[in-house]
Formats: sequence, C-alpha cells, structure tokens
Amino acid sequence: MPEDDIIDVSDFDPNFRDEIAAEPGGEYIRRCFSCGTCSASCPVGGVTDKYNPRRIIHMALLGMRQEVLSSGFVWLCSVCYTCYERCPQDVRIPELMNAIRNIAVREGRIPQTFKTQVGQLRAHGRLYEVGDYENERRQEYDLPPIREESAQVRQILDDMDVEEEAE
Amino acid sequence: MMDVGRHPNIVLMAYSEVEEIAGYVGNFTVRVRKKARYVDEDECTACGDCVEPCPVVKADEFQMGLSTRRAIYIPFPQAVPSAYIINAHECLGNNPIACGKCREACEKDCIDFDMQDEIVEIKVGAIVVATGMDVYDPTPMDEYGYTSYTNVITSMEFERLISAGGPTEGHLVRPSDRTQPRRIGFIQCVGSRTALAENNPDGARGNPYCSNICCMNTVKDSLLLKDHYPDTDIAVFYMDIRAFGKGFEDLYMRSRAEGVRYIRGLPGEVEEDPATGNLVVHVENTTTGLLEQHEFDMLVLSVGAIPRQETDAVRQLLTLSRTGDGFLMEAHPKLRPVDSPTRGVYIAGCAESPKDVKDSVTQASAAAARVEILLNAPTIKVEAITAVVDEELCKKCGQCADACPYSAIVWEKKQVARVISAACAGCGTCSAECPYGAITMRHFTDQQIYAMLDAFLAEDPQEKFIAFACNWCSYAGADTAGTSRLQYPPNARIIRTMCSGRVRPDFVWYAFRKGAPVVLVSGCHYADCHYISANRKAVERVDVLWEGLEAAGVRPERLQLDWCSAAEGQKWARIMREIEELRAAVTAEEIDQARQALQEAKIPKRSRLDKLEKPTPATMRCYRCGNEWAVVFDPHADAERMCAACRSNSVRVMIDGEL
Repeated sequence: MPEDDIIDVSDFDPNFRDEIAAEPGGEYIRRCFSCGTCSASCPVGGVTDKYNPRRIIHMALLGMRQEVLSSGFVWLCSVCYTCYERCPQDVRIPELMNAIRNIAVREGRIPQTFKTQVGQLRAHGRLYEVGDYENERRQEYDLPPIREESAQVRQILDDMDVEEEAE
Repeated sequence: MMDVGRHPNIVLMAYSEVEEIAGYVGNFTVRVRKKARYVDEDECTACGDCVEPCPVVKADEFQMGLSTRRAIYIPFPQAVPSAYIINAHECLGNNPIACGKCREACEKDCIDFDMQDEIVEIKVGAIVVATGMDVYDPTPMDEYGYTSYTNVITSMEFERLISAGGPTEGHLVRPSDRTQPRRIGFIQCVGSRTALAENNPDGARGNPYCSNICCMNTVKDSLLLKDHYPDTDIAVFYMDIRAFGKGFEDLYMRSRAEGVRYIRGLPGEVEEDPATGNLVVHVENTTTGLLEQHEFDMLVLSVGAIPRQETDAVRQLLTLSRTGDGFLMEAHPKLRPVDSPTRGVYIAGCAESPKDVKDSVTQASAAAARVEILLNAPTIKVEAITAVVDEELCKKCGQCADACPYSAIVWEKKQVARVISAACAGCGTCSAECPYGAITMRHFTDQQIYAMLDAFLAEDPQEKFIAFACNWCSYAGADTAGTSRLQYPPNARIIRTMCSGRVRPDFVWYAFRKGAPVVLVSGCHYADCHYISANRKAVERVDVLWEGLEAAGVRPERLQLDWCSAAEGQKWARIMREIEELRAAVTAEEIDQARQALQEAKIPKRSRLDKLEKPTPATMRCYRCGNEWAVVFDPHADAERMCAACRSNSVRVMIDGEL
C-alpha cells in the first residue's frame, strides 16, 4: 500500500464528536451505528459518490476533523430529509450536516459557490437576478411581476455579519 | 401437542379466555370463559365433511393469509383438540334460508348453533404465563414496499411458503406469478433496533430492542433454500449478524460457505419493476462504501418480535409488571428469571422477551420446576416480615388495599382490611399509607423507627442527617461503599426499611421536628424496585412532603430523594458527600424554625400533582444542585426523574400557575 493511503490516527481529534454534539443540530451524532440506510436512501448519493452521509458521520466519529471540514462533501446535502425519516437511530442527518457546516464556516471554510451566492443575495435580494425575461415569462402564466427588493435582505446580511463570519 | 391433550393430569382449554384471577400463591381461583365453538369437540372426528359445503371463504390466519379457509375450520392440522370450530362472526348462521349447510353435511350431528359460552372456575396453586409474542408489521416502512409490491413478503410468510405444511406444500413460489424465485434477498432488523424518536414516536417503524431470533432464522432459511434449490442466489442485508448461541456461528459459517452473500448495509429503497414484478434493492455496501443495486425475484423482510397485544390484559389480571420494551418483567433478570414478582406466578417463553425454541423450552422447563418445588412442599414459608392490620384502629377506608402492589390486602366497603400473609411481600407500603396507623409492619414497626430517630437526634442533631435506605438497593449500595473502603462523610444515620415505600411521611416530619438538618429517602431505581412499584409511592410522598415543607416555611431542599442500586457504592459515597454539603449549609436558625413550624403544620393529604390528568408544561427543579429545566410533564409516564447536571433524583416537578 502506498504510504499516502495510510492514515495516521495520531492526527485525529477525539473531541471532534463532542464539538459536533455541542453544536445545535449535531446532538445526536453519537447514536449512529453505521447501518447505511441514509446513504442508500440519499438522492444526492445517487448522482455523485462524493456525498455519503454514513461515511461522513463515521469519519467525524473517528475524529477526522481536518478531512471532514476541509473537503466539500458536507455542503452537498440537499436537506431533503429522506434520511431523517428513515434513520433507525434518529441521528437527524440534515441538521447534523448543518452543524458541521457551521463549524466549517467559523473556520472560514466555505466553498466558493456559497460565497458567490451571498454576493448574489446582497446584490439582488435573491439567488438570481430577476430581469425582464423572467417577468415576461411570469406574465404568460398570469403571475404578477416581481421586483428586486434587496435593501431589506442587505440589512439582514449586515446585521448578521454574514460575510465577516465567512472570512 | 398430542401428548398434552392426552395427559391425565393436564386439562387443556383451547379457545378459552381467562377473565378473572383471584387469590394468592397456592390458592388461586381462575375464572375462564370457554367460548362456544358450535361443534361438539368430543363427538367431532375431524372428518372434514362440513368444510366443503361452507360458502364462507376467509383468509387463513395460520398460513399468514396465503391460503383460505372456511367459516368452519380447524386452525391448523395438528391443533388439539382435533375438532372443527365455527367462527360465529363469519358464519351465516343456522337460519335454514341463509345457510346451515354444514349441519346437513355432518353425519354425526356434532354441530350445535345454540351452544353458549361456558364460564368455568378452576382452583390452582400456581400459574405460568406463556402467552407468546406477535411479529412486527412492516407496512409503515414504505421504503421496503411491503403490501405495495407483491413479491415483498415477511419472514413469517416465507416460513409458510417453504413449510411442507404450508399452502404450497413446501414448493417455493413467489406471490405475483407463482413461479419459483431464483434470486432472493433478505433484509434484517426490520422493526428491530430502531429508536423511539421524533421520526418514530409510537414504534410504527420499529422497536429499540434486538429481536434475538431473526438473524438465525434467516441463516436457517438460507440453508433450507440452498438445500431445496441449490441454484438460488441469496443475499442477506444486515447490520450485525448476531450468531451467539451454541452452534449458531457454525450454522452461519455453513450458510456463507454455501455461497449466501452477506452484505453489510441496510437498504434505503426498494423499487419494483412493474413488468416483471422483480425488485431492485438500493443499498450501500458499508464495507466498501459503495452504493450497489441488486435485483431479486423475491424479497423477504426479516421482521422483529413485538409483545403480544393482549399482554397488558394479562398483566392486569395478575398484577405483573412490564419492562420498557413492553414484555413481562421477571422478578430478577439474573437470579429469578422465570419468577414473576407475584409469588406463585411464573413466566416463560416470548411473553418475557423474544427468544428461540431452545430458550423457550429451557424457560418453560425452569418454570415447571419452580412450580413443582412450590406445589410439592406441604407448607410454604413466608418471610415473617408481613403487615398486620389492627382491627380496632382500622377505619375501613381501603387506602391500604389500593397502595399494595401485590393485591395482598382484601378490603370491601365497611369491612376491616385483611392482609393475606401468603401474598404479602413485606414492603410496608400499606403501613406508610394508612392514615390511622392501623397497620403494623412486622420487624419495621413505627415504634422501632421513631425510637431510632429519637436516639439519632437526641444529641447534636445538627451534626447528622437521616438517611432512609431500602433493604435491597440503597442499603446494599451503602454496604458496597463500605466493603470497597470508599471514603465519605460519616454524618449519615441510616435507617433501613424493606422498601422506600415504607417511609411514612410522618417519619420525615418527626425527624425535622427533632432537629434533623437534612433527611434523605433512598431506594431502588425504577426498573429495579423489589416490590413491583412500591418505590413510586415513595416519590408521591416526597412530593407531598416538599409541598408541606414549603407551605410551613421550611426549605424543601432539606428533604432529598435518590435511587442507588446495590452495585452503586461509588454513587452512595457521592450522595453522602453531596448531602453532607447540604447539611453543613443548614443554619441553626433554620433548624429551630423547622422545629417550631412543623409542630403546628400538618402534612398535606395529597400532592398538587395528583390533580394532573394529562401532560402539562412544567419546570423541573433539582433540589441537589439547583438546576432547572422545562419539560412537558406526563403524570402517567412511569419514568425516573433525574437531573442532567448532577444526576441526582431530588427533582421536583413545579407546575406553573393554578391547577
């Protein structure tokens, strides 16, 4: 086996699980017995093998803090709650993923996509720009036009120091 | 089974229901309703002539609904007595216009539509409860598609399909097209090892415990399949294979050697191909971390065991307890595994917990031997620690009879209560409950306890605290602390009672009046109470006392409550240290104030909590460390109160506002 494939367990952080458990949403991580119901149910897992909730939880429980926080996979959860419904141990995986994301954010580990999205939110008050094209399409379906109202959203973002926290 | 039917000393009462059980060890009277079967069981030769003409066709319960039976039927071929029975709810009746065809067909004229239920009273000395279990219904786990997809069946249905006595005489076919399945999948832990939680509040998606039998049942099924149809491709999806019994590992290894594929991972999704009826299972093979798809002709859900629906009725008939999982509780999990807490009543088989044939036979044999020991003795010995009613003092109120966990007190309106010594276990809960002091608890009399309190508090009472400790757990816990040479403050003065339920509120009141700074009431943990549920009475009384002390202006924190098992010597030492700290903080003024106040003040009769009927928002307050938290308090939930911060049980339920 090449040396790179061997994981040095002395780098593990045994307190990582407690750190997650202390985070709102992460309380139930210790319940996982790795049955795989979540990963087999996961619609994201069907599209990409990068996201495997059971594997992430197992890595977190082992204390692989660096690996869990630095890789982007926790951001792939689509929060569909299928695993939440089916998990036999009530690990509450979507909320657990949020908890891990919050820890990652505090350390400034945010994928570029999310940073771009915050920029979009600030600029347009929503995740995409609404132009004439969109409103014309809406009119076709008898839907009222929407206007960009970014001021309030910007205010919320300012109050929450979102970007600052992300830095 | 035939032997049982023929045995001269066994009276078999099939199709009967126990309606009432009265009496006590050696002297039970059991009232049984023998339901009308509408067929004379002595005359019926089980020829079967009556079946053909019966027009009512119903799903056969014994065959798990995989075949049909008529309204007149034999439940299963080996049933004893070997006689037909009519299901009165299904039968069209003996109206000659409507039906009555079976009656015409029966040459021996055994069918009698006028037959009535019969009430039989029998006297027995001992009772064995062996009421069995039910299996989990996997319909709510919609990801597996049971009842949506025809070829997804339960392990019970599979059992009928592969049994020579089953609907197909053991020729394995799948339900959709009755062809022989070539690829079969098994899913383990269906309905087992599933936490009761937000997504599963009522256990519809399964129960928290391991059902014990399903792993080996699947291993056996896989070997049966390989034996009958060696070409069958078999995959088993599991979390853990629990092959712990004698020869079990061997069987598991044989199954693997036969080529059965064991794949670690529970499927998340099952899809049906509508054209073929085949099933695609989506699973993560957790040993490789890769997602896999498997196609099967038939899928078997290895369903778990659940307590029989009627367990609660049986429990009430015999005043038995249930463990958290709903199965019947034994008197002691290790040392008295087939005894119930009620003397003369034994439990065996799956009524106690899910188990296989061998364990059931072991338990049944043990229960039979226990009965034998009891019934063969010319007399039985009862501990001399029993309750005695003073007929002069008894005001005939009957509160003692309500308090007794063993129903050992017989009371009728305007009658003096009477203790049945043989049934009395000696907890003393009745004595503590009696408002008139009319019940003497032998060896633990009120006088003895007051004398101990007097002696302990005669000199320097402010230096000591009183600890009531139950004989089985807390006192034994103190012993463990002692034999382990654990160090703890020596200020406790321990008063042993058989049960914390013996602690009469007046004892606590008296101790404070005599100048005790702190009083501790301690007993067994909820699940371990040696007197079924008598320690719950201690909690009720501590609640009453807390309210009474508060009303009298005495700091309720001075009364403490804790559960400590015989093994928890460490915990006992910790409780002693914590309470000593509380004691040291009680001032001389406080002690004097309590002395005065409690001379006048009366102990309330009932706690405010008694008025609660449904779950109510409440604040839990720990009287050890001061921690507070909000809960919805359910007055019917039988659960220990414990402080999450300091793990003490001195937790008071504070209901906000008026009740």
